[in-house]
Amino acid sequence: MRSFSEYDPVVIAVFFVTVLSVAMFCGHPIIAAITLFTGVIYNIVLNGRQHMKSHLFFLILFIVLAAANPLVSHNGVTVLFVMNHNPVTLEALLYGINSAAMIVGVLYWFRNFTRIMTSDKLLHIFGRLSPKLSLVLSMALRFVPLFKGQAEKVHDAQRAMGAYKDDNIVDDIRGNMRIFSIIVTWALENGIITADSMEARGYGTGRRTSFTRYRLRGEDIVFLAADLILFGAAIAAIVTDSVEFTFYPVVRGSISGIAGAAGTAAYGIMLLMPVIVEAEVRIRWKYLQSGI
Amino acid sequence: MIVIRSKELRSFIKVVVPFAAVPALVTAGALVFDHNKHIIISMGVAIMALLVFASGYERKNTGTRREVIAAIMTALCFAGRFIPLLKPVAALTIISGIYLGGETGFLVGAMSAVLSNIYFGQGPWTAFQMLAWGLIGLIAGYLSEPLKKSRILLIVYGAVSGIAYSFIMDIWTVLWYNRGFSIKLYLAALQTAIPYTLSYVLSNVLFLYLLGKPFGEKLQRIKVKYGV
Amino acid sequence: MEILAVRDLSFKYPMCSAAAIEDVSFTLEKGEFAVLCGGTGSGKSTLLRMIKRELTPLGERCGTVSFMGRDTETLDDRTAASAIGFVMQKPEQQIVTDKVWHELAFGLENLGISQEETARRTAEMASYFGIGEWFDSDVSQLSGGQKQLLNLASVLVMQPELLILDEPTAQLDPIAASDFIATLKRLNQDFSLTILMVEHRLEDVVPVCDRLMVLEDGHLTHSGRPEEVITSIRGRSEIMCGMPAAARIYCALEHSGASPLTVRGGRRYIEENYSNGQRSLPDAAYSHSSEPALEMKDVYFRYTRESEDVLSGLDLTVYSGEIFCLLGGNGSGKTTTLKAASELVRIYSGRIKVFGRKLKEYRNRTLYNECLAMLPQDVQTVFLKNTVREELQDAGADVNALPYDISHLLDKHPYDLSGGEQQLAALAKVLAAKPKLLLLDEPTKGLDAYSRSRMTEVLRRLKADGVTIVTVTHDVEFAAECADRCGLFFGGRVVSCGTPAEFFSGNSFYTTAASRMTRGYYDRAVTAEQAAELCRLNGRRCGE
Ligand SMILES: Nc1ncnc2c1ncn2[C@@H]1O[C@H](COP(=O)(O)OP(=O)(O)OP(=O)(O)O)[C@@H](O)[C@H]1O
Ligand SMILES: Nc1ncnc2c1ncn2[C@@H]1O[C@H](COP(=O)(O)OP(=O)(O)OP(=O)(O)O)[C@@H](O)[C@H]1O
Ligand SMILES: [Mg+2]
Ligand SMILES: [Mg+2]
Repeated sequence: MRSFSEYDPVVIAVFFVTVLSVAMFCGHPIIAAITLFTGVIYNIVLNGRQHMKSHLFFLILFIVLAAANPLVSHNGVTVLFVMNHNPVTLEALLYGINSAAMIVGVLYWFRNFTRIMTSDKLLHIFGRLSPKLSLVLSMALRFVPLFKGQAEKVHDAQRAMGAYKDDNIVDDIRGNMRIFSIIVTWALENGIITADSMEARGYGTGRRTSFTRYRLRGEDIVFLAADLILFGAAIAAIVTDSVEFTFYPVVRGSISGIAGAAGTAAYGIMLLMPVIVEAEVRIRWKYLQSGI
Repeated sequence: MIVIRSKELRSFIKVVVPFAAVPALVTAGALVFDHNKHIIISMGVAIMALLVFASGYERKNTGTRREVIAAIMTALCFAGRFIPLLKPVAALTIISGIYLGGETGFLVGAMSAVLSNIYFGQGPWTAFQMLAWGLIGLIAGYLSEPLKKSRILLIVYGAVSGIAYSFIMDIWTVLWYNRGFSIKLYLAALQTAIPYTLSYVLSNVLFLYLLGKPFGEKLQRIKVKYGV
Repeated sequence: MEILAVRDLSFKYPMCSAAAIEDVSFTLEKGEFAVLCGGTGSGKSTLLRMIKRELTPLGERCGTVSFMGRDTETLDDRTAASAIGFVMQKPEQQIVTDKVWHELAFGLENLGISQEETARRTAEMASYFGIGEWFDSDVSQLSGGQKQLLNLASVLVMQPELLILDEPTAQLDPIAASDFIATLKRLNQDFSLTILMVEHRLEDVVPVCDRLMVLEDGHLTHSGRPEEVITSIRGRSEIMCGMPAAARIYCALEHSGASPLTVRGGRRYIEENYSNGQRSLPDAAYSHSSEPALEMKDVYFRYTRESEDVLSGLDLTVYSGEIFCLLGGNGSGKTTTLKAASELVRIYSGRIKVFGRKLKEYRNRTLYNECLAMLPQDVQTVFLKNTVREELQDAGADVNALPYDISHLLDKHPYDLSGGEQQLAALAKVLAAKPKLLLLDEPTKGLDAYSRSRMTEVLRRLKADGVTIVTVTHDVEFAAECADRCGLFFGGRVVSCGTPAEFFSGNSFYTTAASRMTRGYYDRAVTAEQAAELCRLNGRRCGE
C-alpha cells in the first residue's frame, strides 16, 4: 500500500525508461495521444490543482509546436489555404499536431519523473552501476537549482545596496553579467568546500557501500513484471510494423491485426499503471478508515 | 576516485581511448544501431570519458575536488544550452580543457552532452556529440599554453572547433541516413549544414571572447588556491 | 593519554607575505574539552584545518601534528577520515546530500560499512539528537539550528575520537546555542570525546571547558585552565572583553581568589563581596524623535501560496536616529522582516512606510538611492570583484574614511578573507551607499568580542551622523550595549519592545548573563559594565 513514488527506485526507473523509449520512437498518433493524455492525468494526480501555470505553459507550447510545422513545411497534398504564396497543407498540420503531442507528452512524463525521482533515488540506482559516475551526475543536477537560488540572493543583496541606480536596461544587463560572473566564482569555491567536506568524511578511501532504505517488496516485483510484459507487447507491435503511420504525402496509417491492437492497449495500460496504483492506495485508505 | 598508478597505462589511455576507442565505438554504434542501443553506446562513451579523466592525474588527494569542479563546469554547460540560438557549451568545454587539463575537458564535454540531452532529447547523436565536444576539450588541453597566452589564438581555436564539431556531427548524419559512409553524401551534408556551422563558430567565438579571460582567471585562482 | 600533539606548527598561504599561524605548539589529553579563541583573522580556522588532514589548505607549512602518537600525514585514509571529526564554520557548506537520512549515512557509506550496521548507527544517532522527526526531510527545509545539529550528528556517526568544531554556534539563536553547547558537554562526559572548538561567544562554553587557548596574530599566547588564563589576561582588555560576564565583573573590580565563571558563581561573588544599598543606576533617559524612519503596520507575508504566514500582523515603528535591535529564534522571520522593509519581497497585506513615504512611492529604485541599504545575512552575496580594493572602489567607498581599519585586507580576494573579515568588508561596502536607514542582518556573527565592540562604536558614530539603524542579531550582549530599543520577534511579529534595560531585565532566556546574575539583587543592570559599576558604587563589604 504505497504510492508509486515510494516504490523501489529501480522499478521507477525501469518504468520511465520503458515509457520513454516507446513514446520517443514511435510516431503513431494514438501512441502520442496516449502519452500526452496519461502524462497530464498523472501530473494532476501528483500535484493536485497546483501548477496551473505550467499546464498553461504546456498548452501554449503545444499550440506553437503544432502551428510551426505547417508554416515551415509544405509537404503534403491536401492544401488548406495559401499563405504568403506558400501552401499550408492538412498533412503538415496533422504532422505538427502529432509531434507536438509527442513532445509535450514526453515533457510531461519527464516532469513526473523528476517529481518522484528525487536525487537520493537516482543515487541509489547509479550507485549500483558506477558510484563515481553517479556522484558527478547527481552533483551536477543538484548544482543547477543551487546556482539559481544563489543568483537570486546575490541579486537581492546588490539591489538592496543600491548597486543599480535607476531603471536602466544597460545597468541591469551589466548587473546580470556581474552576477553571473560571481556565481561562477561562488560555485567553484563552494564546490571545493563540498568536496573537502566529502573527503573529510572518508569519501574516496576505499570501496563505498551504498546505503539505501529501499527494499524490493512483492508489489515492486508485480509492478515490474507487469511493466515489462506490457512493454514487450508494445514493442512487439512496433517492431512487426503493426502500428505504423505516415503523414506525407498523404496521411495514412493503421493499427493492424491483433498484435497492433494488443500493443496499443498494452501501452495505454502501462502508462496508466501509476495512476492505478495511486487510485488503489486512496480507495484502500478510505476503506480502512471507514472500517475503523 | 580511481587512481591509475602505472604511468605507461595512463599515457596509453590518454591517446588511445579518445582518438581510437571512442570513435570506433561511436561509429560502430551508428552502423549497427537499432532503436535502443544508443543508450548503451552513450553509457560506454561516458565510462571511457571517465577513464580519460582518471588518467589525467596521479596524486590522489585532489581527486574529489577535480570531480566537483568537473561537475560544476558540466552544470554550467547544461544551463548554457538553454540560451536560445547561441550555445556556450563548446566554449566552456574549451576553457575547462585549457585550465583544468585536457582530460577534464574531455569529461566535461562528454558529460554535458549526455546530461543536457536528458532534457534536449537523447538519441544516437548523443554519442557523437559526446565525442565531438570531448575531443574539442581534450585538444584544447594539449594546446593549453599557447591558448592561454594569446586571445586571438583562442578565438581561432574556437572557430576551428565550431567547424570541426559540424564535421563530426555530419558523419553521424551520413551514417544514419545511409547505413554506411559515402563521401558524396558527406559533402552534401556539410553543405546543407553551413548555417548551423556558422552558428557554432559564432557562438564559440563570441563566448570565448566574453568568457575566456574572466573564467580563466577564476579557474587559475582555484588552481593556485586549492592545487586542483 | 595524549591524543593530539601540535609541535612548532607554522603556515603561510600562497601569495601572502605574513604567516597565518606561527610556531604553535600544544597537546590535548584524551577526554579534554578545549576552547580556542582569538581575534578575527588570527588564524583559528587555519589552525583547525591543519589538524584535519583532508582540509589542510595549500601553502607553506612546517612543524608536525600528531594524532595518537602518529604524524597525521602517515595515518591511513580511513583512520584519518573517521577518527577526527570536523564541523565547519558555515552549516550549509558541509552538507553533501539532499536528504537528512542520507547525510547521516554518507560517512558510513564511504567507509564501506554494511547496510545493517549503517541502519543501526544512523537510527541510534538520530534518536540521541532527536532527529527522528525530520529524518526523512529535505536538507534544504531545515532551519539553521537543525542544520548544525545534523552536521554534528553526521560527523559523530563515524565515531570519532577527536571532534573539531569551527564556530558552530555563530548563526544560532541564544537558546539553540546554549543547547548546542550542552549537547557537546554531554558528549564529552558520556563518551569521553575529546573536543577542540573555536568560539567567539564564550559565555556558555568557558564554564564547561577544561582548557582555554588564546590565539593572537597566529601565535598561541595563552593556554591552560580557564581560571588561570583569565587571571593572566586580566590586563588585556581586548581579549578580556570576550570572556564570560562573571569574569569580566570580577576583573573590573578589586579581585581576590579565583575568578568566577558561571552566572551562579558570579552571583555568589557579588553577594559575598558587595552590598546592594543602591539597587540601580540612574536610567539613561530614552527619547525618540517624533519622526518615524520605518513604519510597518499590520504586515502579512508568506513565501508561497501554500506555505504559512512568516509575517503575520507585524507592527513595528523605528524612529529616525535610533538603533533598533531585533532578536528572536532561528527561522522566526527576522530576515524576512528586513527583506519586506527593503522591498525585496512583496507583502500581501499591510503597509510599510520609509521616512513617511510608502514603498510604492519610491519609483525607479530611489529607495536604494542614499535612502536605505541592507547588509544581508549571507555576506558573500555582497562581493562581486576579485579584490577587496576593487570592491570598495566600485561601490565608491573611501577606504581612509572608514570607521575601522581594513587596509591590510585590500589586496585579498574577498573569498579568501576569514569569516569575520568578510563581515567587516561587506559592511564597508554597504556603508558606501550612504544610507539614511541602514538594515543590518546579523552584523556581528563571526566577530570576536573586540571587533564586536568596535562595531558598536561604528554604529554609535553612524547614529551620531543621523543614520537610523535596524539590526537583527542573536548576540544579546551586543544588543544590550548598542541598542536604543530592542524587540523580540515571535510568531510572525514583534511581541515585546523596550529599552535594553526594560527589555533584558524582563526576559529570562533572551537576556544577558549580567542581567541573570544580578536579578533580584540589583535592578536593571544588563551589561557587565553596569553591574560592575553598581558594585563599585556600593563598595566592598568590609570584614572579609
Ligand atoms: N585561502 C586563503 N588565502 C589567503 N589568505 C587567507 C586564506 N584563508 C585565510 N586567509 C587569511 O589568513 C588569516 C587567518 O584566517 P582564518 O580564517 O584562520 O581566521 P580566523 O581566526 O578563523 O578568523 P574568524 O574568526 O574571522 O573566522 C586571515 O588574515 C585571512 O585573511
Ligand atoms: N526563500 C524562501 N522561500 C521559502 N521559505 C523561506 C524562504 N526564506 C525563508 N523562508 C522560511 O521563512 C521562515 C523565516 O525565515 P527567516 O530567514 O526570515 O528567519 P530568521 O528569523 O532570519 O532566522 P535566522 O535567525 O536563522 O536567520 C523560515 O521558516 C524559513 O524556512
Ligand atoms: Mg574562522
Ligand atoms: Mg536570518
